[in-house]
Amino acid sequence: MKVETEKDWRDIIHRCFRCGYCKFTHDYSDFNCPSYKNFRFETYSTGGRMWLAFGAINGDIEWSDGVANVLYACPTCGNCMENCRFDKFNFMLVDFIEAARAEANKQGYCPENQKFLLERTTNEAYFNPYAEENSDNEDLKKQYNLPDEAEWVYFIGCTSNYRQKNLRDATLRFLKKAGVDFTLIDEHCCTSPLLRTGQVSPVKDFMNYNVQKIKEVGASKVITSCAGCYRTLKNDFAKHEAEHDLEIIHTSELILKLLKEEKLKFNSEFNKTVTYHDPCHLGRHSGLYEEPREVYKKIPGLELKEMKRNRENAWCCGAGGGVKIGYPDWSIEISKERLEEGKETGATIVSSTCPFCRTNLSDANKAFQMGFEVLDLVEIIDQLDYEVTK
Amino acid sequence: MSNKTVLSDLEDIVGKDFASNKKEDLFIYSLDPGASLPRAVDYVAMPKSVDEVQRIVKLANKELIPVVPMGGGLTLSALVVPVKGGIVLDMKRLDKIIEINESSKYALIESGVTTGQLLSYLNEKYPNLQPPIPDAPSAATVAGNVLIHGSGYLSQKYGDHGSMINGLEVVLPSGDICKLGSCSVSDYWFTRGPIPDLIGLFTSSFGTLGIVTKLSVKLFYKPKFRDVVFGLATDFDDIPNILSKVTESGLAEDVLLGMQDKPDWMKGYIFVIVYVTGESQDEIDANTKVLKKIYRKTNARYMKTPPRIREIYMEKPIFAATAADFRKGGGFEYVGAFLPIEKLPDAFKGGAEISKRHGIIPTIGSRLIGQTHSAMAFFSYSFNRADPKDMKNARDALHETNLLALELGGIPWKAELAGQKLILDKMDPNYKKLFKTIRDSLDPNHIMNPGNWEVE
Repeated sequence: MKVETEKDWRDIIHRCFRCGYCKFTHDYSDFNCPSYKNFRFETYSTGGRMWLAFGAINGDIEWSDGVANVLYACPTCGNCMENCRFDKFNFMLVDFIEAARAEANKQGYCPENQKFLLERTTNEAYFNPYAEENSDNEDLKKQYNLPDEAEWVYFIGCTSNYRQKNLRDATLRFLKKAGVDFTLIDEHCCTSPLLRTGQVSPVKDFMNYNVQKIKEVGASKVITSCAGCYRTLKNDFAKHEAEHDLEIIHTSELILKLLKEEKLKFNSEFNKTVTYHDPCHLGRHSGLYEEPREVYKKIPGLELKEMKRNRENAWCCGAGGGVKIGYPDWSIEISKERLEEGKETGATIVSSTCPFCRTNLSDANKAFQMGFEVLDLVEIIDQLDYEVTK
Repeated sequence: MSNKTVLSDLEDIVGKDFASNKKEDLFIYSLDPGASLPRAVDYVAMPKSVDEVQRIVKLANKELIPVVPMGGGLTLSALVVPVKGGIVLDMKRLDKIIEINESSKYALIESGVTTGQLLSYLNEKYPNLQPPIPDAPSAATVAGNVLIHGSGYLSQKYGDHGSMINGLEVVLPSGDICKLGSCSVSDYWFTRGPIPDLIGLFTSSFGTLGIVTKLSVKLFYKPKFRDVVFGLATDFDDIPNILSKVTESGLAEDVLLGMQDKPDWMKGYIFVIVYVTGESQDEIDANTKVLKKIYRKTNARYMKTPPRIREIYMEKPIFAATAADFRKGGGFEYVGAFLPIEKLPDAFKGGAEISKRHGIIPTIGSRLIGQTHSAMAFFSYSFNRADPKDMKNARDALHETNLLALELGGIPWKAELAGQKLILDKMDPNYKKLFKTIRDSLDPNHIMNPGNWEVE
């Protein structure tokens, strides 16, 4: 069962019993729902949101800015999906929150900051949520001598292309060195920010545009270094009638494959202690927990130390679900808690596999002077001397 | 005084972020996961200290506003949804585990500590100790459980969880702080007596006499091995004998009974679920052997436990709330009734009839309390939260079950308002008079969870 139609969520949402498991870590040792942990009113648990949304669609409480604000004050990290005990619908909880946000939008209630995401993304000069002039990526193609047609497309994603260029360039260098037959397209936003904030009206067009562009270059595989793009391309396109038969691959998956095939060999060491932060969109939303870890463990000299909350139990970085733009101060407070947990490991580097996590963790690192180096996995590899047998 | 001023006073006490009269916040606190109808709430406040609780109670007294303390909010009988409006005190920010005394085996905690938090803390730091926890989700608070005479793990061996309270710190309706139990004369929160035992005033009185801010609960040694041994009975009338023989063996840490008509393979059986413990697997095996013999001799039979079922019952706590989705409706409520053991057969029969009359699949069980001194029987009714008629049907079934429990000489547990009235109607007039006298004396302005236990 998937939340594919409006009816689906309306017919299921009342089945939440509000038992509260959604708030906790696996062992109940702490609250692992960033929203509940911050606001503490029952309203701000996923159960509270389910009941509030049910009340609103049922007419027991009027839609209002206040109701919308509760629905939006959640990074949709998916801890609730992981800990909710009702296995007939727990995997849809984030879908429910997104559907409730879409309904709030339809009723005319969307927090002001999140509205910018839609305004910017649908602006033909941008097509991205950062209000940066749209890059058709032709300059990058020239710089890296990329073909017009290829088997793979590197879907850069807006955050890497406009905010984390170092990560983008490290990925481009890796793909080039690995001999991957890839190219770039004039990509528009993958629509993750719009989906997460319930601003769904243009998403189908955006998705179909991107699929068409990928098809035009003859590609059958899409690789991305962004956890958000990965989740959206892999899981969400089909839900919005943008069916495709493309293989979607995260960079960590490709790197691991090359290591397992013994095609990628490291000739230098990375003698630092690293702790890995699971991006929610890659982990709980897509089930990729071990692939990045296996890569870190194969890097010579690198010591990987786990934070107390990891994998399915990981604490969110606080950037997702529109929280970074909607609640910037709280967003980095969430990341601060993650960095404090990272400190307990003795690591000097916090690493992730998502440009959005990288951004928020870096912002918190700077704001709270936590003293970490924040790097993506690909950026670590970029610092190494390595060779790839083609 | 205007709403704005009360809110601003509450904000002064607990901080701006932890007091609210926003509709979207009040909405959730006006509802209970059980079948009760919603009731209005005026404010929610989340104190962090006993001082803040004191100041709120004093404010409420000054403004004559009801105050309702709330733990996990999981009684299902809407005990923490105000009857006459007012302030809900969500106590979950009082969440410190203050002390674990390994020698005298108790935990001194603030009243917002959840059962999950304490269980997890002990598992990590004191793995040889276990707390009394209910068959409720881990969001239930320890205080909420013990203060309603909760039952659950360890109840068979050591009694109901209310009896496991060693001491309390209570903010009285006047705003005074009162310590009860050994902590009133000693630094040790290790026992209730030997002094006049007033702790009972604060159990099952549902916040009408004071607000508990700290408590000491007993902890117990946790044996190294634990397993579950299932028996199957087919005749309700065999239940008292089975339970007597099982408990007389001294092997049972906990004993549950269960009966439900769905799935079909369960129909016609009463499941006897006995938890055995030991220091080795050999001991568990030997205990299991003894139980098998007891089952044979009591007209029951041993059932080899399928791994999936074993897993469900070995989890601590059991996910009892699964009943909420039996009918894809998101709701269930049960009458839990303390009953004399000899009345369990009639309770099971009568409960099944009530369920059938209301078109609800019979789901009835029982947890033994204190080695057959009593049993908490539960009669569970699932309903569809999206269907008001179905919710009313569940309320009607609950009411009939309350009547059945009282007819059988039992007492509905954590009863909702209608159930409280039935109990009061049957109660010794002088007991009621005594309670009213105490309440009027402690709470002359009647601000503490008014509407509950109202003696006419």
